[in-house]
Formats: sequence, C-alpha cells, structure tokens
Amino acid sequence: MDHEAAQLEKQHVHDVYESTAPYFGDLQSKAWPRVRQFLQEQKPGSLIADIGCGTGKYLKVNSQVYALGCDYCGPLVEIARSRGCEVMVCDNLHLPFRDHGLDAIISIGVIHHFSTKQRRIRAIKEMARVLVPGGQLMIYVWAMEQKNRHFEKQDVLVPWNRALCSRLLSDPSQPGRKPCAHPERSHPYHPPCSVCSCSVCFKEQGHSQRSHSMDYEPLMAGTCCTDISKEGEEENGFYNTLGKSFRSWFFSRSLDESTLRKQIERVRPLKNTEGWANSTISIQPSRHSSLDLGHQEPLSTREQSLDEDVFVEASQKQLEWPRAPAARKHLRGDQQGEVRRNGDGNFLEGANTNSNSEETIPVEEQQSSVLDSRAFMRYYHVFREGELYGLLKEHVAELHVLSSGNDHGNWCVIAEKKDNCD
Amino acid sequence: MKLLTHNLLSSHVRGVGPRSFPLRLQATEVRINRVEFNPDFTARMIPKVEWAALLEAADTLHLVEVPKGPIEGYEHDEKFLTQMHHVLLEVDVLEGTLQCPESGRLFPISRGIPNMLLSDEATET
Repeated sequence: MDHEAAQLEKQHVHDVYESTAPYFGDLQSKAWPRVRQFLQEQKPGSLIADIGCGTGKYLKVNSQVYALGCDYCGPLVEIARSRGCEVMVCDNLHLPFRDHGLDAIISIGVIHHFSTKQRRIRAIKEMARVLVPGGQLMIYVWAMEQKNRHFEKQDVLVPWNRALCSRLLSDPSQPGRKPCAHPERSHPYHPPCSVCSCSVCFKEQGHSQRSHSMDYEPLMAGTCCTDISKEGEEENGFYNTLGKSFRSWFFSRSLDESTLRKQIERVRPLKNTEGWANSTISIQPSRHSSLDLGHQEPLSTREQSLDEDVFVEASQKQLEWPRAPAARKHLRGDQQGEVRRNGDGNFLEGANTNSNSEETIPVEEQQSSVLDSRAFMRYYHVFREGELYGLLKEHVAELHVLSSGNDHGNWCVIAEKKDNCD
Repeated sequence: MKLLTHNLLSSHVRGVGPRSFPLRLQATEVRINRVEFNPDFTARMIPKVEWAALLEAADTLHLVEVPKGPIEGYEHDEKFLTQMHHVLLEVDVLEGTLQCPESGRLFPISRGIPNMLLSDEATET
C-alpha cells in the first residue's frame, strides 16, 4: 500500500514538479500574508524550516531568523538556491534533522500531496519530531470547500497548463478574459488559479485590496471532527490484493486500506461510464477551455500507462462534442456538473464556459511540443473542514493545536510541540 | 551548505539510531561568502549549536580561529561573535559529501545543496 502510494506521488507530484520547475524560475511568487505573519512573529535567532519550500519564497521573509528550505524537488531547490537561500533536497517523511533541533516549521501546501492518511500523519509526525518543545508548526492544505471551484472528491488530479500560463503572462490584456492577478505566483504549492487552473496564478477573487485576515479562531471540539473519517482507523491492515495497478486506485475512496476494502464490492467495471463518474479520484477538468485558444483543452496524461487507459476509455463514452481523429484523448470528467454548479457566473470571470462545447480540437493543436503541460496532472488530497485539525488531534499526540481556520481556500493549523514528548 | 545547517543534520538511514549525528563532512569545494554581521542574531544561535559537531566540521575544513565553546559573557564579546558568525554562516560547502557515521551511507552536496534523499530500502519504517 505504501509503495503504491509512493508510486502515485512520484508520478503525480514529484515528476510533475520536476518537469514544470523550469517554468517557475523567472516568476516571483507572493507569500501568503498569514504565513508571512507567522514567520515574522518568530523570535529573532530562531531556526526555522520550510518543509516543501519550492522556490523558497518564504525563506527570506524574516531576516532575523535562520531559515532552511527543504523540498523533494531538486530543480525547485536549485532555483531557491540561486536566489541565495539555504536549501536541501529531502523527503518530508524522512527529515534529515536531529530531534528537537528546530524552533518553527512551516508546511504550506505540502501535506495535501500525500496520497494516504497514514503518510500524511507520518509527515506531520516527522515535523513534530524535529521541533523543540514549545516549537510551532504551521500547516496549510488545500480545502475541498472552495468558492470558485468544485471538487467532486477529495482525491483529485489537477491539470497544470503551462500554455495558458504563458499566454496570460505575456498578454494579460486579451479581451474576454480577466488576467490573473499573479505578478508573483509561481509557487507550485498554491492551489491552481481558479481562472485557468494553472499553478502559476492564484486569482484572488476581487480581494486584492482587502486585508486578508484569517479566520483564526480555535475550533470547538465536536464542531469539526464528527465525521472525520473513521475509516482508516484500522491502519496496518493488510493491503488487499485488488490488483496493484494504478487502475484500482481510482476506484478506491482514498488509498487507505480499510476504505479500499469496503469499496471493493462497489467497484464498477472500467468501461462503464457510471463507473468513471463514481470513481474516487476525479480529474479536475481544465476549466479554461474557452478562455484563450477557443478550444477545449485536452487533459490526457502523456505516458502510455495503465492509468491513462483508465481515463481514456471512460472519457470516450462521455464526450459531448466531436473531435478530430487525431485528437488527444479528451477527459471530460465531471466538467458539465462543475459548470452547472458554477452557474453564478463568477467562475471564469466573464469568460464563457459553454460556448465552445461544440468546437473540435484543431488538429494542428495536436502537434504541440513534447513537454506540453496539458499532460501534467498533480495529485491532491483536498481536505474537508476540520479534517486537518482532526488528524492532529487524533494521531499526533505530541502536538497541541493552538489555532485553526481557513485562509484563501486552505485549511490551516498552527500547532505547538508539547513538552516532555519522545 | 553552511556549517550551521550541517549542525542540524542527522542520518535517517534504516537501522541507524537514535538518529545518527553528526554527519561526517567532506568537502572538495568551499566558498567563503560575505554575510552581514548581526551580533544579536549570532548570539542567539550560540545556545543552539552542537559544539562537538561544529568543531569536527570546522576541523575537516581546516578552519582557523574557531572558538572551542561558548565563553563567559559571549553575548557581548565582539571577537567571539565575529568568529562564530564566520564559522556558522560564511563558510559554504559547495561540493562534498555527508556521511552517516553508523551506516556509512553518503549524501552528496552539489552546488551547495545537500541531497538527503534515500532509496526506499534504506529508510527507516
């Protein structure tokens, strides 16, 4: 189970960041105000680590602390280094730090890339291990509950579209489309822009002038944790051999063993379209289809692997418009449903979402470069309200949650390492 | 990689423990950077330093004028603080290795960046 989880993360987290890192190099990204505040509040002379630092945008927020950046992705770390940051390549699950060495840690948009609950817990426990007693940990994860997009499921693959990013960056004044307010958003850990779902931009819906005070009150016990998955409580279960192919993952509710077992009976055949609709990892459709190029963006994965077959076969049944014979496999997922849910018009800011549904994908467009980023799909486990809090409360006894809340579509928690632990 | 960073690093190779520390440093390329001296900042670092590890690393790099430990009244001792500032923050290992003292596993330092990733089998469960 753990091996499969690691494989999924390799393909849909690590490899994607590695391949897309070059595109982040020249973009400055903005630090989230609340994270900045947390860093600036640390005592001068503190030893701080940003676990999952990406290009290092938080590492220079506070010049009075010693900030170390850690990331699994070598290319991103190189970028951070070139900006003068002290960084290293390492694994959140195996932090190369001695116990009780660090005064504070931030984990911004990282834990949601772990594909099982166990791994998420392990990642948090690792960070707790290296904190001094009294040291603080801030965690941000992407929320399932979003104003401007809808997640069908908690385990999702989100496309990253470089083509759109570069178009937006180069020509922000193109009519019919609002440019993303992203002068500095290249951090891959930000949730994709609600407009173009590219990781480069995060459109703050008209809030750019407002101060972003975080809703930061402690959660009341009982209001949040009630149905945080009781599933997965029987950890250490035996990984039931469903067939250890990627295919099977997408029919499990999450990669937790117990839910997988429960789901086995309800698994539907791949070729069945309803099976696709009920699958648990949903492909977030590219929502900028009509934005710029006037055609539907295909969402195929680039490799000819088993998991691509999963999407391909299902999608062929769901296509609503004709496509050129040489067209890439087109994944519709639940886009139609999503468009419906966003009928209030805020979604895509003035761009027309439905108008191009009749258009075919021009054949020329198929001859894009090998590194066409339409192929990049990043895995996320988006968190429900209270889930992160519950995770810490139930499984990480060495941490005491100080506060939690929502910030820009992320669930956040600040926790403190208890004294007299380990 | 600065020596203050090295001072925090330990090994997570499977079977090693508790957390093998410090990692043995070897350097083939070292650079000295000019870093703005902040006496207050440096003074605050002193209590956090694992001295034996620092001295071992400094020795490997043939650094001179390295204090052997905190001295009385170090917070206001400019000479002490300047020396510590230099050792901790200005020495930058660009190329080299870090070795787990128990397992012997080597972690490379390239372009100033340590790579602490391990293959699956080598990590603790």
